[in-house]
Amino acid sequence: MKIRLSTLAAIIGVACIIAAPVRLPAAGDVNLLETGSSLLYPLFNLWVPVYTRAHPNVKITPASTGSGTGISQSVAGLAQIGASDAYMSNALMKQHPDMLNIPLCISMQMVNYNLPGLNRIHLKLSGPVLSGIYQGKIRYWDDPAIRDLNSGLKLPHHVIIPIHRTDGSGDTFIFTQYLSFSDPNGWGNSVSYGTTVSWPPISGGLGAEGNPGMVTATQDNPYSVAYIGTSFEDQTDRLGLGLAELKNRAGGFLLPSAATAEAAAAQMIARTPKDERLSLIFSPGADSYPIINYEYALVKSDQPSSEMAAALREFFTWAMSSRGGSAPHFMRAVHFVPLPAPVVKLSAAQIAEIH
Amino acid sequence: MGTAAAPLPRIRAASHHRLRRTILDFLGWGMSAIAFLLLGGAMVWILAVVVMRGYHALSLTVITHVTEGYGGGLLNAIEGTLILAFGGLILSAPLGLAAGIYLAEFDRGRLAPVIRFLADVLVGVPSIVIGYFCYVTLVERLGWKFSVAAGSVALAIISLPYICRTSEMALRQVPRALREGAYALGARDSRVVLGICVPTALPGILTGVLLALAISVGETAPLIYTADWSNYLWTGHLTKEPIGYLTYAIWAFITEPFASAHALAYAAAFFVTLFVLLISIASRMVLVERPGWRRPWTR
Amino acid sequence: MNFRRLTALLASILGGILVVIVTFLAVYAWPAVRFNRLHFLTQNNWNLGNLYADPIMVRGQQVLPAAHYGILFLIAGTLLSTLVAIVLAVPIGVGAAVFLAEALPPVMRAWVSLFVELLAAIPSVVYGLWGYAVVIPFLGHHLFPWMVEHFGFIPFFGGHAGSGYGLLTCGLVLTLMIVPLITATVRDALVTQPAALREGAVALGASRFETLWSVLLPGVRRVLTGASILATGRALGETMAVLMISGNALNYLPNNIYSPISTMASFIVSQLDSALEDPTGMAVRSLAEVALVLCLISIAVNGIARVLLLYQDRQLTRAV
Repeated sequence: MKIRLSTLAAIIGVACIIAAPVRLPAAGDVNLLETGSSLLYPLFNLWVPVYTRAHPNVKITPASTGSGTGISQSVAGLAQIGASDAYMSNALMKQHPDMLNIPLCISMQMVNYNLPGLNRIHLKLSGPVLSGIYQGKIRYWDDPAIRDLNSGLKLPHHVIIPIHRTDGSGDTFIFTQYLSFSDPNGWGNSVSYGTTVSWPPISGGLGAEGNPGMVTATQDNPYSVAYIGTSFEDQTDRLGLGLAELKNRAGGFLLPSAATAEAAAAQMIARTPKDERLSLIFSPGADSYPIINYEYALVKSDQPSSEMAAALREFFTWAMSSRGGSAPHFMRAVHFVPLPAPVVKLSAAQIAEIH
Repeated sequence: MGTAAAPLPRIRAASHHRLRRTILDFLGWGMSAIAFLLLGGAMVWILAVVVMRGYHALSLTVITHVTEGYGGGLLNAIEGTLILAFGGLILSAPLGLAAGIYLAEFDRGRLAPVIRFLADVLVGVPSIVIGYFCYVTLVERLGWKFSVAAGSVALAIISLPYICRTSEMALRQVPRALREGAYALGARDSRVVLGICVPTALPGILTGVLLALAISVGETAPLIYTADWSNYLWTGHLTKEPIGYLTYAIWAFITEPFASAHALAYAAAFFVTLFVLLISIASRMVLVERPGWRRPWTR
Repeated sequence: MNFRRLTALLASILGGILVVIVTFLAVYAWPAVRFNRLHFLTQNNWNLGNLYADPIMVRGQQVLPAAHYGILFLIAGTLLSTLVAIVLAVPIGVGAAVFLAEALPPVMRAWVSLFVELLAAIPSVVYGLWGYAVVIPFLGHHLFPWMVEHFGFIPFFGGHAGSGYGLLTCGLVLTLMIVPLITATVRDALVTQPAALREGAVALGASRFETLWSVLLPGVRRVLTGASILATGRALGETMAVLMISGNALNYLPNNIYSPISTMASFIVSQLDSALEDPTGMAVRSLAEVALVLCLISIAVNGIARVLLLYQDRQLTRAV
């Protein structure tokens, strides 16, 4: 027994030694937790190593948890930066008047599908058709509503598996806004939009966590359809998922691209209010891709320390700068577009409020 | 015994009955062997997946670097898992042992059966409920935020009943004569219990502590909303600083569509499984097999 | 304070934790209990309401327009996955216990038992990983379609085979997680049965299996019941593994055994962050109500099991 006890002591001892490299905090270190949008996460992932190398006293842990988490944890003060594809609601703003919604860039959303044999072809889909699919009114891929948009295509008679996000998600927010705005009497009147909505029950429909979960679930489930942030376009391409052309307000069918996103943004940015909470969904214009949005950083204007406030101001300013985080190589990697100059000005004014 | 009422086997001598009996015997043993093979097979399958995929994912980077996006290493998570587990033990071991001492040594009044029952039922409370409780009370109301402290308390609450009940069982195995001798010499309660009973029962008590350690290392649900996650090594703050841990890496990284993220998830699963199994086997080696001793790892 | 009192105090803290947790959940969930009333348990509609609209007052509570909370699908998912698990785990658990206690030579028994029973030590999230990465592709692409084809005539075995995420997958993985509890308890009980019983039966001419079936197994019936209920409690509260393999069904009941489900425990993990976005707080409190319901079910199940096992323990101590 004695020997066995000492063996145990040794195991525990070794464990303690592993735990030993605990560093003491250096003065002036700023530790930032960024949590939320899984659409923005790939960009943060590219930013953090570059930024922290240039600013060794700043540590940033990004987490891909969904915009809902970004909103709730930044409001609760649990995370310093809440990342969200959705701006905060009026009710939440009233409760937390010190919250800022700062756009850092513009992103798009793709509608992807996994139709064996048809993934190379860009299926045409519209808001009302997607609304029908996600309400369970359109159950089969060869439904007349889908056939009408895609004349000449041989669509399979197979049940559609619609996949939605289970976490509170800005992608859900912008997707359901597209459905609400393009199908105001159907989706808009019943389910409406939000980061979490009450998905109409569809037997066989699946829930997935985060954009990564959506990509994997679409790949794993033939005959599925899903909405996925454009920062995952490289993955969906690599896996050979189908990418839909979406119907815009003018009636055209467009693929997401920097050009169609910029065209849509150009139609909308003049309407951006001072607090920058604005939906860019379903904008007018023949060349406008219908689902684009501001990528928000949600922060409290009142910070616990001046070092923290300064670090946040510096980071956000860098993120919007064309020589910093909004440099073309960053934007191209995640298929985002940088903020137009007038919006940069508005964001800069909000950033200046962080103290 | 309840078995006294059991029906006696109907036994006949006729030969066709003998054949039927042989077949039934064969079937019975066959079924039980199949049941065993199902379990053994599942265990081998799980271990094979974790060990082989985990082994392929191992590299020096995994244990020397912190997580960076979808890649890097797991040093932050390994460190965090150990800190949280030991943090939980520091809280739960003394309290659990004290409760175990009370239940084993001073079990006279009506309080002991109630506490014993509450402790046993607490074992059955889903760990996410405890995590939720700690989130609302510690993380939000007390303002500890995501932290080592909140995570450790959640783990401590989960470990407490195990440590308490195993300590109690271990202390009950200490021969009565030892206590009586000490009391006869005029020793006080604390001296008898701490000086004689606890050292004698130490292997058993350690079993409970090791079990609690294994549970803490393997837990995920109660930590998601108390410890959260961090890519960096701990800087020594007990509150207001999130911390990483291995089980989070398994859960969060396996759904990412990147090979490097999958590798981290499998490496984390390899470490967690190995650690938990080693502790479980270690606790088995410490344990003195006696009848009536409930196998502690069947939590 | 003397030593005895100190330990009594510390022990009371331990006992008090459960009371505090239940009381806290009840108090915290109270506004939700009043708002949701009984349809909380009977309807399939978990709906935070319109997150971007202004809150309104309903039944004296501030809520979002169209907010409605009904968790029947969670209760069904929790109970059904547990039912599948327990129906499979009892025969497999007893069978394996018999094999370990009766068929193996005593020298091997300890280590072989340990190997199988370590299934209980493997963390939930590792089961989830295994289920997600290995089991689901196998079930979804091979076993389930095959089952639909050959057993589709049995009620609930036909229909759409789904993708591998769902009720049966959860049931199978939960089976592995709870079976060691049954195996270990039954095996212990078999080994500790008085030798006289065995000798008596053999003297009457019974074979070893007959002895086991008619004499030894009936004697451990109560232990088996207790362990099974305890295992039920364990399955009810499993979180991570189920979260990763259940398919996270929302607002609908499973229509066959392959259908996606959600359970109460996994729903709390997946929905807490969304719920925190509700400015009225009703979503978080309704989630607390889910936790409360889950907690009360677990307490009831574990309470019953402990009373049964306690009774058996007393018998055992008397017999030894």
